[in-house]
Amino acid sequence: MYQVITQRVADWLSGLGRVGHFVSDTVSSARDTRIWPGLTVVQMRRIGVNSLPIGLFISAFTGVVLALQSSYTFTGAVPLYFVGTLVGKTVMLELAPVLTGLALSGRVGANIAAELGTMRVTEQVDALETLAYNPFSYLVLPRVLAATVMFPVVVAAAMAVGVASGWITAINLLDLSTVEFVKGLQIFYNFKDIWFGLVKAVSFGFAVALIGCVKGLSVRGGAEGVGRAATEAVVLSAEVILVLDAFWAVVLL
Amino acid sequence: MKRRDEIVVGATIFGVLVIVVAGALWLSHAQFGGASQTSSARFRTVGGLGVGDPVVLRGVRVGRVKEIRLGQKNWVEAELQIYQDATLPVRPAIIAASGSLFGEWQASIVAFDQPFDDPALRRELDEAAAVGGQMWPGATLPDIGQLTAQAGRIAGDIASVSSRIQTAFDSSAVAEVQKSVKDFGRVADQLARFTQQQSSILGNVGTNLQQGSDVLAEAARSLSNSLARIDSATNEGELVTILSNAQAAAVNAREATQSLRDVMAVAHRNQESIQRIIQGADTMMTRIMDRRSTAGLLLGDTTLYVEATKAVMQFERLLADIQANPRKYFSFKVF
Repeated sequence: MYQVITQRVADWLSGLGRVGHFVSDTVSSARDTRIWPGLTVVQMRRIGVNSLPIGLFISAFTGVVLALQSSYTFTGAVPLYFVGTLVGKTVMLELAPVLTGLALSGRVGANIAAELGTMRVTEQVDALETLAYNPFSYLVLPRVLAATVMFPVVVAAAMAVGVASGWITAINLLDLSTVEFVKGLQIFYNFKDIWFGLVKAVSFGFAVALIGCVKGLSVRGGAEGVGRAATEAVVLSAEVILVLDAFWAVVLL
Repeated sequence: MKRRDEIVVGATIFGVLVIVVAGALWLSHAQFGGASQTSSARFRTVGGLGVGDPVVLRGVRVGRVKEIRLGQKNWVEAELQIYQDATLPVRPAIIAASGSLFGEWQASIVAFDQPFDDPALRRELDEAAAVGGQMWPGATLPDIGQLTAQAGRIAGDIASVSSRIQTAFDSSAVAEVQKSVKDFGRVADQLARFTQQQSSILGNVGTNLQQGSDVLAEAARSLSNSLARIDSATNEGELVTILSNAQAAAVNAREATQSLRDVMAVAHRNQESIQRIIQGADTMMTRIMDRRSTAGLLLGDTTLYVEATKAVMQFERLLADIQANPRKYFSFKVF
């Protein structure tokens, strides 16, 4: 039992060390500016712009549900204009960053892990090294940078759509006017509400892309290894997102 | 393809950036282009007031709290951005208070010299104003949370007291209380009756007193009138005249008394004469009754009465004949 625990701890520390080494190599690859800037833009479109529909879709329905449930909770106890407060605060602080992060961890994290894993098992990564290309500046850094930059963009758009859908729901399905909803929205607004969500989104993007790259480049075996890497990337990304969410809540709020 | 990716990514980032910035400014009530002024207020504590909370004047939002910081000697300094062209009081002060029951705080601009119901508020403002400087004095009202916490403590105390009362009040205590209540009811009835009786008596006494006081008042009025008359008489010398008249009346009375004595003496003498007359009449009547005088004889003889009656009747017939035939008896001749 003791040996098992020791082995597990050693494996965990070893994995952490590999990640640290991976991050170090990634940062070091930033010196190769001939390669990664152009590739980053491409990844920004794939990771960010192409992920906008799923992020906005999730956020839109989140706003609808929040407005209806908060109205159901507040009826008879709290003034109904607090629906605006709850929708705004909840979407900006928590739901838009976390739900979007979780959705993108599936879409982006799995995509990166599968793509890089396939390149690993098909020895394309080895070919890049043979051709004197740094796989970190060619494959990893563009994806990590793109995810780190574009996650906040998607999350910001999700915030706007979530609040807007809550607003539309409130004035159409609830006994609430635009003036009341906006009053609730503005009454407790703090600029921190926005940048807190964006800071979280930055960390989520960095973590999801990094985990996808680590899992993808560490694939062993064939297609099975690729599938396992994709699954592990999604699960680990989701776990890290929730841990980071709690961390930022403790640190920043 | 690469160029197109750059345009799409750039447009996406720019669009989202515009949305975020515009939304943040809109939500924070940011004002652009309008004249604004910044003023500072000094508080001992700002309670729940925070950056971005509204600054209101007579209930109308005229600005926002720009910054809150700790100052010297543990004072809290708040910078207020007033962006509307509002006419402020001559000597402004700031009251930080909850805007509603749900934790919304606001800073209200009031006149420092206006009266406040809460003496603690006035004391806080005076204390902040005593420091001097350009900062407006500020005071803070307790927030709803503190009030509800206090109310909660009071409710807890009441619950504790209720629990103790519940412990102390067993069934026998309740029975005793019921008995006491009944006794108290009887005492109350008796007291009510006694009070009613005393009220009636007091009413009568009052009536009598009122009547007595009316009599006394009347007597007082009479006395007052008499005194007034006396006073008036004394003043005008009529009293001397009255006394003189009274003296003359007394003399007249004495003279009248003397005259009355004389009359009485004459009457006494007349009485003696009357007595004698009565005695004479009595003697005469005695003689008549005894048939000893002429009258007695006339009265005692019926023949005389009959003859007299006949003579009267004849005399009447004579008179009637004379009236009917006067020439038979009387004859007048001039020559």
